Formats: sequence, structure tokens, C-alpha cells
Amino acid sequence: MNENLFASFAAPSMMGLPIVVLIVMFPSILFPTPNRLINNRLISIQQWLIQLTSKQMLAIHNQKGRTWALMLMSLILFIGSTNLLGLLPHSFTPTTQLSMNLGMAIPLWAGTVITGFRYKTKASLAHFLPQGTPLPLIPMLVVIETISLFIQPMALAVRLTANITAGHLLIHLIGGATLALINISATTAFITFIILILLTILEFAVALIQAYVFTLLVSLYLHDNT
Amino acid sequence: MLRRMVLSAAAAAAPCLRNAALLGPGALQATRIFHTGQPSLAPVPPLPEYGGKVRLGLIPEEFFQFLYPKTGVTGPYVLGTGLILYSLSKEIYVITAETFSAISTIGLLIYVVKKYGASIGEFADKLSEQKIAQLEEVKQASIQQIQDAIDTEKSQQALVQKRHYLFDVQRNNIAMALELTYRERLHRVYREVKNRLDYHISVQNMMRRKEQEHMINWVEKHVVQSISAQQEKETIAKCIADLKLLAKKAQSQPVL
Repeated sequence: MNENLFASFAAPSMMGLPIVVLIVMFPSILFPTPNRLINNRLISIQQWLIQLTSKQMLAIHNQKGRTWALMLMSLILFIGSTNLLGLLPHSFTPTTQLSMNLGMAIPLWAGTVITGFRYKTKASLAHFLPQGTPLPLIPMLVVIETISLFIQPMALAVRLTANITAGHLLIHLIGGATLALINISATTAFITFIILILLTILEFAVALIQAYVFTLLVSLYLHDNT
Repeated sequence: MLRRMVLSAAAAAAPCLRNAALLGPGALQATRIFHTGQPSLAPVPPLPEYGGKVRLGLIPEEFFQFLYPKTGVTGPYVLGTGLILYSLSKEIYVITAETFSAISTIGLLIYVVKKYGASIGEFADKLSEQKIAQLEEVKQASIQQIQDAIDTEKSQQALVQKRHYLFDVQRNNIAMALELTYRERLHRVYREVKNRLDYHISVQNMMRRKEQEHMINWVEKHVVQSISAQQEKETIAKCIADLKLLAKKAQSQPVL
């Protein structure tokens, strides 16, 4: 039982070959390229969604920040599609692996910080000290702000990992509870099943929300630094 | 050499073999033919409007048609049920916690698709229609603009045809103005000449009048000179006597 609980989070390999690469690349084939003026329904809806999201997400940025448009849109599409695909039964979600989330968060965060330091050095350094702090508190506050800055990529990665992993784990556990309760008392099993359905709805929402939050925070860090 | 002959004969026979002929080492150096096929991208073949028919959302209709001659209508369903029961009973598919999450997830998805599928499809179609309508509008606006330009041009041309009326009127005006000026000048000439002639006439009249006056004065002077003093006294006495007579006559007659 213990082995089974976390088995779904192990990196999948078939006959010793790591097929996790294939799994990570899989969502990209679900977004076909629009080849024509008028496309099929799938592409039309995807185009409309991407237009909507990109307009809303890039509204706050200036010219320099908007060069990150492709990066941000790819990010939200990748995280969203990976999370949603992970809700299918017997599937592997790459975003449950902390390694991958760190691999996404650290370079993006570092990119924003380095951009800020390169082009607006004084303003970036000024972020370490909030406005209107009394004089004796300044050294402590600078230390705190530095810590908070370096926590940002960790928080991004761990937030995503923890949310998705917790969701998957809960679904697994409550499914197991339903399975165990069927033999004991059918009504309790039924109630548990209803809870499972509600949880699934939540997980769908969480999948999308986490993608959005990740991308939003990166864009926020970008906004601060451009 | 024989090989080259064979290859050239083959190249003459079929166009697709020409490309193969190029692969023959050292053969047909002179005839290098590239791009004998159609360009791969254009024209883009049209998309089918509706997808293939499926039953239960997963299994294409062709499978049912394929099994129909041998097993009839219920054949594929029995096959499916049998496979599922077999895998369950032999524990090829184990019922675990994952089964329930699968049931809930797939059930949710089926519910959402059944309920909102058609409206989402309509929404996608509406997006495409909007795009086409926008382009169509641009096209129609362009056509309308050009049509308006054509009409304006035609009306301008029609106006040009009628321009000669304007010129005739202007010509008439100028002719009248010329006529007017001519007559005015004529009248002035006449007046000037009359002036001169009047002057001469008045000079003549004045001369005659002066001569007359002079003559009358001369005659009067000589007559007065000729009257002697004696005659003057006699004439005056006679006049007084006549006057007295007249007075008496006037007194005697009654006043009327």
C-alpha cells in the first residue's frame, strides 16, 4: 500500500529507458499549428484562448517586458496542459517532480532579476528597502528583503509541486477509501465517491489555477524588473 | 556504356525514372532535372467539414461495419463487454484506488462534453464566421469604394460632355459686351461731332444777331439824329392836344 501510494510519482521508465522525456513532450502535439485562415474547431478555440490570455497577461508590461510574451504564454500552456493531462487515470504528471519545477522556476526568476540588475541597477537595488521604513530598522529589513528575494524561485517551484502532488495524493487516497468502504458499507462508499467527484472538480480548477499563478508571478517579477 | 544506354532509355520512357537515373553513378551528367513534382504546399487541400462518425465517442463506425457481416449488430458490443469482463476476471486490469479516480474523472469529462459540447462547437464556428465576415466586409467595402469611384468618374465624364453650353453662354456674353462697347463708342463719336457742329451754328447765330443789333442801333441813331428840334416841338404839342381830346371823350362816355 505504501509503495503503491507513491508509485505513481516515480519517474516512468519502460525497460530501463526513461520515457519521461516523451511524456514531457507529449502536450505539445495537442496544440496544432494553425495552417490556414479558417481552421478546425480545436485550433480556433485554442487561438481564441491564447489571444484572451496573452492580452490580459501582457497588459501590465511595457515594451521591454513584452519581449517575454512567447515565454510566458508557452509557460502557462505547458503547465496547464501538463496538469490537466495528469488528471487522467494512470498518467504521469511531470510537474509533480520538484526537479522539473525548479528547472522552470530558477532560470525564469534569475532571468528577471538579472535583467533588472543590468538595465535598472539602482531601482533593482532599491527594491530591497520598502518605502518609509524607520532608520534603525533598515539593516534588518535589507536582510529580510534579500531572503525574500532568494526565496522566490523556491516558493514558485515548491508551490507548484506541492499543490499538484497533494491533489493527486488526495484523489488516490479517497479513491482507496471508497474501494475499502464498498465491502463495509455501500452508502458511506457512495458518500466518499461524491467527495471524490467534488475533489476532481477542484483538481481541474487547481490545475489551471496553478498554471496561471506560476505565470502570473513570473510576469510580476518581470514587471518589477523592466 | 550499355548501362548508360539503358538508363537513358528508361529516362525517356518514364519521368519518374529520370530522378532514378541521376542516382546511377557517373551516368547522364548533362540532364540534371530538379523539382519535377508538384510543389508540396500549395494549393492546400480542403479540410473535410465533419469528422468521421464514431460510436461511444471512441470507436469508429468502420469497425462496426467491418464486424457486421460476421456478427451482426450486437457483435462489437459483445466483443467489448467480453474483453472488459475477461480483463477484470483475470486481473489483467486490477481494481485499485485509481479505478475510482478514473471513474470520477472520466464521468465528469463525459458529463461536461455531453452538456456543453454542442455550444462550444457553435462558439468555435462563430469565431470562424466572424473572421470570414470581417474579411468579407473589407472586401465589400473595397468593392463599394471602387464602384463609387467609377460612378464619380462617369458623372464627371457626363459633365464634361455638357461643357459646351457653358462656353456658348460665355461666347454670347462676350459678343454682347463687344457690341455694347461698339455702340457706346459710336454714340460718343456722334455726340462729339454734333458738339462741333453746334458750336459753329451758334457762332453763326451770334454773328447774325450782333449784325442785326448793330444795324438797328445804327438806324435808330440816324433817325434820332434826323429828327430836328422844330419837328420835335410840333410833335410833342400835337401829342398833348390828342391826349386832351381823348380825355374829354373818355369823360363824356359812361363807365362800362
